[in-house]
Amino acid sequence: MWGEVGGALVLLLLSEVLDCIGISPPGKPVLINCRSPEKETFTCRWDPGFDGGLPTTHHLYYQKEDSYGMYECPDYQAAGSNSCFFNKSHTSIWVNYNITVVAINSLGSTVSDPLEVDVMYIVQPNAPENVTVSVVETEESPHLLVKWEPPHEADTRSGWITLTYQLRVKRQNKKESEWEEYASGKQTQLIIYSLHPGEVYMVQLRCKLDHSLWSEWSTTTHTEVPDYFLKERSIWIVVTVFSAFIILLVTFTLAMKRKYVKHCLLPPVPGPKISGLDTQLLKSGRSEDILSSLINQGFPPTIATKDQQVDYLLVFDSEQVTPDLQNGQTRTNNSIDHGCYDHSLLMEANNKEVKVGGRETVEQGYSEGLESTFRKTKGLSTDVTSHPYPQKKPFNNVTETPKQATVSSKYRSLSHHKDLWDSLARHLDYRETVVKSQSNCDDKHNLSSQNIVTPSKDIGYVEVHRWTKSIGLKVLVPKMDKRQDYSKVSVVENDNVVLLKRETVPLNCTSCKVGGNQSEKCLQQKPCKPNMTVPAKEGVHIGSNGYVEPVTMSHTL
Amino acid sequence: MARRSQGTKLHLAVLCLVVSCHAIGLSDLMERASQRSDQLPHSLVHADSHFPPMGRVMMPRPSMCHTSSLQTPKDKEQALRVSENELISLARSLLLAWNDPLLLLSSEAPTLPHPSNGDISSKIRELQDYSKSLGDGLDILVNKMGPSSQYISSIPFKGGDLGNDKTSRLINFHFLMSCFRRDSHKIDSFLKVLRCRATKMRPETC
Repeated sequence: MWGEVGGALVLLLLSEVLDCIGISPPGKPVLINCRSPEKETFTCRWDPGFDGGLPTTHHLYYQKEDSYGMYECPDYQAAGSNSCFFNKSHTSIWVNYNITVVAINSLGSTVSDPLEVDVMYIVQPNAPENVTVSVVETEESPHLLVKWEPPHEADTRSGWITLTYQLRVKRQNKKESEWEEYASGKQTQLIIYSLHPGEVYMVQLRCKLDHSLWSEWSTTTHTEVPDYFLKERSIWIVVTVFSAFIILLVTFTLAMKRKYVKHCLLPPVPGPKISGLDTQLLKSGRSEDILSSLINQGFPPTIATKDQQVDYLLVFDSEQVTPDLQNGQTRTNNSIDHGCYDHSLLMEANNKEVKVGGRETVEQGYSEGLESTFRKTKGLSTDVTSHPYPQKKPFNNVTETPKQATVSSKYRSLSHHKDLWDSLARHLDYRETVVKSQSNCDDKHNLSSQNIVTPSKDIGYVEVHRWTKSIGLKVLVPKMDKRQDYSKVSVVENDNVVLLKRETVPLNCTSCKVGGNQSEKCLQQKPCKPNMTVPAKEGVHIGSNGYVEPVTMSHTL
Repeated sequence: MARRSQGTKLHLAVLCLVVSCHAIGLSDLMERASQRSDQLPHSLVHADSHFPPMGRVMMPRPSMCHTSSLQTPKDKEQALRVSENELISLARSLLLAWNDPLLLLSSEAPTLPHPSNGDISSKIRELQDYSKSLGDGLDILVNKMGPSSQYISSIPFKGGDLGNDKTSRLINFHFLMSCFRRDSHKIDSFLKVLRCRATKMRPETC
């Protein structure tokens, strides 16, 4: 008894001493895990634990459920240190392995906890290999083509294992971007669409054996997607935006300048303009300006062209030619000295101008049938022409004769008509007036009756003057009603009242000066004896269209 | 739901064959069978996850599974050496052996002293459906393959009940589930090897 106790004490002391030195039996190893990458082999790894300060060896022992006996690990080196590799011949599936690791050193040994392993539960393949990512550039949109291979140790051709893959993609530049996972099934390639141009994409792959654990993610493959098509699209976007902006601007401008555009595209129809009549001036109501403008413009329109000059035609009923006619051309302002009335007529017809051309027209205006008369007149005219007389207005040149001849030729036929006077007098458009001539006129003329056809102020009409000794001067004039004749405006009272000037034909009386408000005075002051008014219009009539219409008033005015 | 639709697909395939309409090819049948068999262990993993890892000491050894008497290949070389007829026979035998245990499990699951016994119970029903549809599909397959492949080993199931006390019931339930998980894995592997052999023209399907 004392011996046993002594022995125990010695051992205790020894262990204590050993502890003080620092050596001990090995610590308990721990089996970490066992893995089978291809369902044909597997590897177990352990953690050795504290070695106790002494060189320690580890041994792995296993036991299979369907066989008896403890076997030691067939290969300690293949998988590295602290591992045991079971090759194909030592691997059975659907069989439970009971694995333990024993750590042994000089002081003792320690056994780990057993681990029950069935290969079907510990399968975990390696990551897929040879991952290639390429950018496929198509017209619509580019996409990534990812290709890979199964881990090299996996046997996929016998059907023993079936690999399924999984892929994940992430954009490198974008922060906080998540991995996008795609299942690939059994295929070893995958196409990824909807790429962002100019980005770098990271791709990873992993695989699974039937119902095994997923492998680790493969190493990341970086791919950059070119951004050329973005530029193309952006150009189009820029162009579209720019043109839209331009269109908006133009539309806005047109909307603002609506009136101007309307004026430009659809110009307003110009109103009628009366030459010589300034509506603005009329509106202003300043009489001096109005009158001056009216007068200055020759209102009523005076005969400006040669065509409109009064051409006289001599019509002789008899063969007589007065010696006066032949001789006397002392009168000034006389083309043909038929009498005072000629003079007056001349004056009436053309206030300002002297119709010199009448002589020439007369010269040519006669046909051969009246040659005798023609000759006389011709001679007359020749005589006349031999005496130049001062004219207020310049002569019309001989060269202008043809022009006048055409005018006068119109009236030639008229003048030949024997019943000219009667026919015209019966004409509805004509009326007869009588101008009494003065005594001296009567003396001078022995002419019985002459019809002098003159074109009136308006083209298309004629006036016929006949002087008879007994009666005097009879004038056939067209009726005023049918004529669109202008009237001289004496004064504009207000906006809608216009006083027209009376046109008087004073015979050897002082002509009433036209001007201002003196027209009325004129009538009263010096009444000329034959105070006839040949086309005298006085009165106001405002037409409905705003024009001043000539109104023939009775002589009572 | 997808699994049920696959089950119905298989049923339709069977129906189609019965009424002599367009016959489905062997490879397609194999494909479908393997797809269905693939779902069994998957479902079992879910069911098994409900159970906490129990002490190995208390767990019966897997060799005590009632199907351990059936000799099956234990590694790849052995499996590749087995003929197609034998492979299909093994698969069908295993599948058949689990009909009765599944019935037991389904009856025991609702009363199982486990917090999520409802989930487990529904999982058991699902497993029954899959098993049934796979069995029918394999029956059609063997008709196509020939008479020599129709041999089935009969494996009786002797377990009457799971036990009396709570712990033993749970343990036995878990043990049965693990046995079924292994056997479904076996069936799946055999059918996949068979599929690969049947479609020799297209090695990429293996």
